[in-house]
Formats: sequence, structure tokens, C-alpha cells
Amino acid sequence: MTDHTDCGCTEYNELSRRQFINDITGAALMATVLPEWMPKVVLAESHASDRDVVVSIFQRGGADGLSIVVPFGDPNYYTGRPTIAIPQPDSGKAYRATNLDGFFGLSEPMLPLLEAYRAKHLLLAHGVGLGYVSRSHFDAQRYMEVGKPNDPSISTGWLGRHLASTTPVRSNAPLRALGLSVGLPKTLVGAPKTLPIPDPANFSIAGSATTRTQRTQLLRDDYAVATEPIRSAALDSINTIALLNMIDFANYRPANGATYPNSSFGRALKSTAALIKADVGVEAIQVDVGGWDTHNQQNPVTPAGSMYRTMLDFSSALGAFYMDVIGGAPSYPVTLLSISEFGRNVRENGSQGTDHGRGTVAFVMGKAIAGGRVLTRNFPVLARENLELGQDLPVTIDHRDLVAEIVKSRLGNPNLSLVFPDYVPTFRGVML
Amino acid sequence: MTTVSTDPGRDEPHASPDGASSDRLRASRRQLFKLGAAAAAASVVAPRRAGAQSARPRGRPPIMGPIDPPISGSAIASWQNPSVRLARRIGLGLTEAEAARARKMGYRGYLEYQLDHTSIDDSAVEAYVAQNHPMVNQDSASLQSADINVVTQQLQAAFTYRAAFSNRQLHARMVEFWNDHFSIYMRKVGYLKVADDRDVIRKHALGKFPDLLKASAHSPAMLVYLDQQTSRRGAPNQNYAREIMELHTLGVDGGYTQQDVAELSRVLTGWTITGRGAFNYDPNLHDFGAKTVLGVQIPASTQSATNTGLAEGERMLDVLVAHPSTAKFISKKMLKWLLRYDPSEAQIAGVAAVYTRTGGDIKEMIRAILEPSALMASPAKFKRPFHFLVSAIRATNARVTNVTNYATRQLGVVGQPLFSWETPDGYPDTVEYWAGNILPRWNFGTTIATAASGELVVDVDAYVQAGTAEGVTAAIGRAMFGGEMPASLRDALVAYLRPAPTNQTRVREALALAIASSQFQLY
Repeated sequence: MTDHTDCGCTEYNELSRRQFINDITGAALMATVLPEWMPKVVLAESHASDRDVVVSIFQRGGADGLSIVVPFGDPNYYTGRPTIAIPQPDSGKAYRATNLDGFFGLSEPMLPLLEAYRAKHLLLAHGVGLGYVSRSHFDAQRYMEVGKPNDPSISTGWLGRHLASTTPVRSNAPLRALGLSVGLPKTLVGAPKTLPIPDPANFSIAGSATTRTQRTQLLRDDYAVATEPIRSAALDSINTIALLNMIDFANYRPANGATYPNSSFGRALKSTAALIKADVGVEAIQVDVGGWDTHNQQNPVTPAGSMYRTMLDFSSALGAFYMDVIGGAPSYPVTLLSISEFGRNVRENGSQGTDHGRGTVAFVMGKAIAGGRVLTRNFPVLARENLELGQDLPVTIDHRDLVAEIVKSRLGNPNLSLVFPDYVPTFRGVML
Repeated sequence: MTTVSTDPGRDEPHASPDGASSDRLRASRRQLFKLGAAAAAASVVAPRRAGAQSARPRGRPPIMGPIDPPISGSAIASWQNPSVRLARRIGLGLTEAEAARARKMGYRGYLEYQLDHTSIDDSAVEAYVAQNHPMVNQDSASLQSADINVVTQQLQAAFTYRAAFSNRQLHARMVEFWNDHFSIYMRKVGYLKVADDRDVIRKHALGKFPDLLKASAHSPAMLVYLDQQTSRRGAPNQNYAREIMELHTLGVDGGYTQQDVAELSRVLTGWTITGRGAFNYDPNLHDFGAKTVLGVQIPASTQSATNTGLAEGERMLDVLVAHPSTAKFISKKMLKWLLRYDPSEAQIAGVAAVYTRTGGDIKEMIRAILEPSALMASPAKFKRPFHFLVSAIRATNARVTNVTNYATRQLGVVGQPLFSWETPDGYPDTVEYWAGNILPRWNFGTTIATAASGELVVDVDAYVQAGTAEGVTAAIGRAMFGGEMPASLRDALVAYLRPAPTNQTRVREALALAIASSQFQLY
């Protein structure tokens, strides 16, 4: 891939044209694909190969940050949660929190992440969320994924726009990003060379080997004249088959003794690790993890509890990924981030659960992260008068502040106003 | 409550980093936000149709294209016959017989025929279901001790079988729609979903919306799914109160506030279930204090023999179904389901007026939505995986040979296992969400056409007997595309078949390719 130091627009457009032309069959189509509208982006001085792979995780359902990073130093937490509070580190009780910084602690099921935290490769941020009030799963997730609240004219995702406004790390990469799910997550809408691939280990065209090439060609020709996004879905899929078939997912051996839980999320992170290590030009992977909408019988405290089990699976998978990909040797250039659309009420409800709230915990993991701390900004005493509507931990860190710093510093994209339109982020010191 | 910001000044683009002209940057940013690189570049998008909604708020920079680019123009140039177009749209997949019926009855005739669903004989399908999936006809009490995996498989298989083989195709489409509208995650509620499918969704799918909503609000499956059954005075649970407004009636912009959610949750305290899975109202859980929901004042009262507090909730259901936002929200969703991804404000208002005039008569709303010129002017829609799978079964007249769990497995393969969407908003219905996962569909085509799974068997004798590549292809066109296979696909299949048009394997492969084709993904 050509170096771009002082890139004029023309040079960038030329590169993009070449890239488009590479995978189009038929001269007739060339005329339609010249991207005149391509934004005039500034390419950072660092080479594309300095960019981290980004693993973007969305905890769907509104994750209760107060059960993950526990404010054990605030008595209001205990008075508000008579049945679901996690005991203090020095309480001597079973399933107590592990002290992190004298005020916050990690709940027991989150301990698989303690190693990354202590190595200062994991940053925990609290009071993170949308800079706009919504307690609707549907809306809040959408606002976070498109990177701007309450603007129906925006239908692409922040990560989609990031990928669309950067040159590929590998200029001929058939696949730049994928969502490990059956449908394309909103975060990735607008990303070129991007597919939802729920099962990357089984990605090939079935049927007779003798006729496979001819059948594939028929479908390629058929979909080449279909409308978007159907057309690109098909052509990108065909172009990706050989790539994924090269990777031996079934026999992938995690490094450093890392063991992924045999759950949907665990398997997804394991596949993510294999994809990253295969180094085939995939720059971004999006993974969803559900089970966070704990309205009822939340029980984050004891091992049989539903949120305990959700947290344990989550942190075990992330902890394994850390050991496998980031924390050991060799270490791969990866930045992982995880967020949820909102947190939950400070006080529990009548069903030993919590209803939709506002601020929650975000995770950022990587070698270049200024980790080993709980990042907050005016985290309040959890008394009623300090809470939004008297019930919710306020959002004091807009999630975009964290993500934008990652996009600029680790993904080599200075075009933050494209990635996060109509917002000027304030960096909070996520990076070293 | 989400309030809509009306501050156009906030949306002025920032100065570009390298000082490019702001017009160019604005245009490029606009493109970037709307469609992304590949989508914008491949400009095979048809021009906007008159009447299509512009999602363009006043005072904001113009945006290009609707949210999903319209699937029209050359993609559906072969869709000529209006009645066939209707049949293709209101069912879960054309068959040769259904296309012929539609042609014979004409547009209005076929629509009325499908609307009058109870007059359509479906005894064969119901006999099959009763024999092979008997649990779906059992009540909750008798299902309580059953193996939940078996219950789930039977419900999934019955749902799929009915969709594939029922003659009441419009009813099946609306069952699918309401099943998502009132979505329930079966792993959380178990056997309770069987009664919900039968007594809430199927019973009222072509009835009146108020009846449907009230049935859902009394459904043990719904109450358990959204944690209503444990809600009690003093600390009510807000989950159901929020979602009944946000997702089931008013819609997220329908004008309710967080306060309304909290107050409605108090109204609904006491709505719970018995140990045998039946609806039960318990006044001992109910909050009898004064409440105000959506401006409706419910005075404080005391529990007595004549005042259980149940009437408060029933009254609020009436308020919700009569709310003008509900008329609009339901109308918009039904328009998006049946007509187009981007209905205009005028279209929404028109159907909302029908809702209001008829008290939420679903059939009347469908008549208004599927007005012939509106459908003929609409772009195509993209089949979701469940729809695609069912349409492939219908198109190939496949036989189900593994009755128990073919549906569970195959729906998982194509990406839409039934009753498995965790959140109450149900499976999405957008091209952008589903289009990318195309490979499993191609492979399902191979699976079904070649009977590779042993679960669905297709008989290709009739095709083979056609004798020539052209004959086989024409037969596929009649069976699968209502006789309106596009010319490019026809030529490709003819060329594929020409070396061996009477070879079983080759014919099966051609069928698989037809199922995998871009045209077959549209309806």
C-alpha cells in the first residue's frame, strides 16, 4: 500500500478508484463507481500498518455498571440495594468486591479481568453513556451506534463511517470488517467490505465441488446487477470465502494458556482472536453480548445468580482474549472497547432487579491504554438529590469522548467530525 | 421521554480539517452518513418515487435517498401483473397455484379472498399440526411439566409449517408481523408462549387492534417476559409499563414521559399470573394511590369487594388504544410491513384515519394500505430469513420429512430462529440488517433442492420431464416466480442447464440457484 505523507485529494481518490475497480466484473460498472463524493480526508502521518485492530463490543440491554464496578465506598449504594448490593471488600462476607482504588471495587464475577487491570491494560470508565436522555433500548442503542443522538437523517454507524473514511490497511483486503452476528449491527452500517458473518469457520458455498466454480460465477453475475446493499453483500461474500477458508478456526490454539468459555460470546472472541492473528486485513470486528436487561431477580452477587453468570461469562471471555492476544507475547496491536446503551437505577425495584437508568461502565483494553484505574468525572454521591430524576447515576462522560480518542490515536483517523458528526469530543486520557 | 430537538443550528457542519469547500464537504458528509461508500458508489438506485417520504427535517441540509435504497427499477422490471404482485407481497412466497388463483380473481378479488381468512379451508394443515405438533393445541396447565425443548421445537415447527403450507397466506403474514410487534423471548417464558401464539397472536392477527392489545396485556407469557408478574405496590417494575407504550401502542415518540412510565407501572401493579400459567389479578399487590398517566387522573381509592383496582389497568388499555399516537404508530408499522420501507406522512395519516374511524380494524387498515396504485408504485422489499426459508419451501413444494426439529435447525442456519430475539422490539425488518448474511441462504437453497439435510425433500420429476433447458427454466419460473422470472436469470439458468437438462442433479442445482438468486430474495 502506497505511503501517504502529504496526501492530496487526487492521490487518495486514485487509490480508492483502483480499489473499487479491482473487484468489479464488467467495464460497464466502472463508470458508476467513481466516488466523486469521497470526502477530502486528511491522512495521518502514521502508516496504516500502525493502526490497531478494533474490537467493538456492545452489551445489549442496559448493563448495570454499579454491579460491575461497585462503588463500595458510598453507603447509598447499600441502602438503595438491600438484596442485590455486592458486599464491601473488607466485609468478610462471601462474594465481596475486590478493592480497586479505595472507593470502587470489582465484583467477584468480573475478576477474570483483574489481571488486565493490574497490568494497566484495562481502563474502566464509570458514569459513561449517551449525552442525551433516552431510556429506550431501541433508541439508545441506535444513538450510540450511529454516533449521534436523535438525528433520524443518520443511518450509518460510527465504525462504518470510520472505515469508509480511511484507506484499508491491506489495499486488496476482501473483508475489512465483520459483525459476528446474523444481521449487520448498526455500528457497521456504511462500512465498505463488511459483512455480518455469524460463523466464520463455516463460510463457503455448499454443493458439488465439480460445479462450484460455475455456480459461484452464475451468482456473481446475477448479484453484480442487483441493487445495494444486496449487491455488495454478495460480491464481498464471494470474495471473502477463500480468505476465511485459509484460517483454521477449528484447530485454533489460544496462546499463553488462555481458555475461552464455551459460550456464544466466548466462541465469538475466540474467532476474533484467530482472525486477528491471521492478519488478513480485517480491521474491525463487532460482537454483541446480551443478557444485561436485569429488571427482575438480577442477583449479581452469588454464583447461581443470573447477572453473576452473565458477568462471569463476559469477563472470562474478555480475560481469555487479553491473555491470548494482548497481554502475552507476541502481543497484537488491538484496542478493545465495550459499552452498553445505558445503566440501571441506583435503587433496586420490587422484583430484586433494576429498571432502565443512565450512566454505566465502559471498558477499554489494549497495550497503549492508560489503564489500571477507574476513570470518572464528577461521579456523584449516590443520594437521591444527585441522581437524574432522583433515580439514576447521571452520565458524566459522553461515550463519544472515549471512542473518539481511540479513533484518533489508535485507529489513525483524525476525521472525527465525520465519525461523530456535530460533536466536538473532549479526550479524557484513555491513551498513554 | 425522548424529546425531539428542534435546533437546526446545531447541525451546521464543522470546518473541514483541510479547508475544503464546505459545500463539497457537506455533500460528502451527507453521503457518508446516508449510504456509506459502496452503496453510494454503485448508483443503481432508482430515482425517488413521488409520494415517497423525504426523511428531511426542515432547516437541515438535504439528504439523498431514503433510509434503505429503494429496490426498484431493473430489479423488478419483470413484475408486471398487479394481482401476482399482490400475491407475492401479502403471502410468504408464491406458488404456481397461488399465482394462478390471484390472476383469476384479480387484485381486489384476491385481496378480499385472503382477508376473509376463516372462509379459506385450512383443515389439512391443521390436521397435520394436530398430529405432528400436538403441544401447540394444549393449554398452559398441561404443558407445565413438558420438556421445554420439545415444546419450543413443536411451536417453531408448527409456526413454520403453517406459514409454508397454509392457504391463509395473508393471515400467516400478519401472524409473523404481530409476533414481532409483541415479541416474546421464549427461553425466558417457556411453555407460556404456546398459549400466547394461539390465543393472542393467531386469534387476533386479522381482527381488531384493541382486542389484540388487550389479549397481549392479559397474556401470561407477556407478563412474565416483561417482569410484570412480580411488580407490586411500593416498588413497581417498570419494564412492561414502558414497553407497552414504547413498543406496543404509542411508539417511542408518542408523547409519554418517564413519569408516565412510572405511573403506569403503578396502575399495573397486581397484574400477575397463577402458578398454573393463567392470568390473575391480585389486589393485594395493587397500589391504590392516586395516579396520573398521560393526563388521565386515577383517584386514590381503597380496596373493597367492588373495587379491586383491576379496572384502572383496563381503563388505561382503552386510553392507549384510543390515543392518536397509537393510530399513527400502528399504521406506520403496518405500512412498512405491507407496502414499503418508507411510507409518506400522508400515507401514515390516511391509514391512521382508518384506524380511528374503525376502532383499529386491521382488515380495513390493510385495505387502505394495499390500495392497488400504492402497491404498484412501491419498491420491492427484501425477505427476512424466515420469509426466505418459507418461500423456498413453498416454491419447491418441499415435503417435510423430519417433522420435529427441521425448523429449529434450518432457521438457525439462515439466521432467524423463531421466538429467539432477546429484546421486546422483535426481529428488525430492514435491508441493511439482513442483506449481508446472504451466504447461508445460498447454501439453504442447495440444502433444500438436493435434500441434503434429509429434512426437506423436493420432487424434481416434473422439472426433469420438461426435457429441455428452456422448458425446465420456464417451469422454475412458473413455480417460483409467478411466471415472471427476469430475463437475465432465465438466460443464466438456461445456459447452466443446457449441458444436461434432464439430469436430476443438474436440475436440482438449477433450482438451488434460482432460490439463491437476487430476484428470489425480493417480494
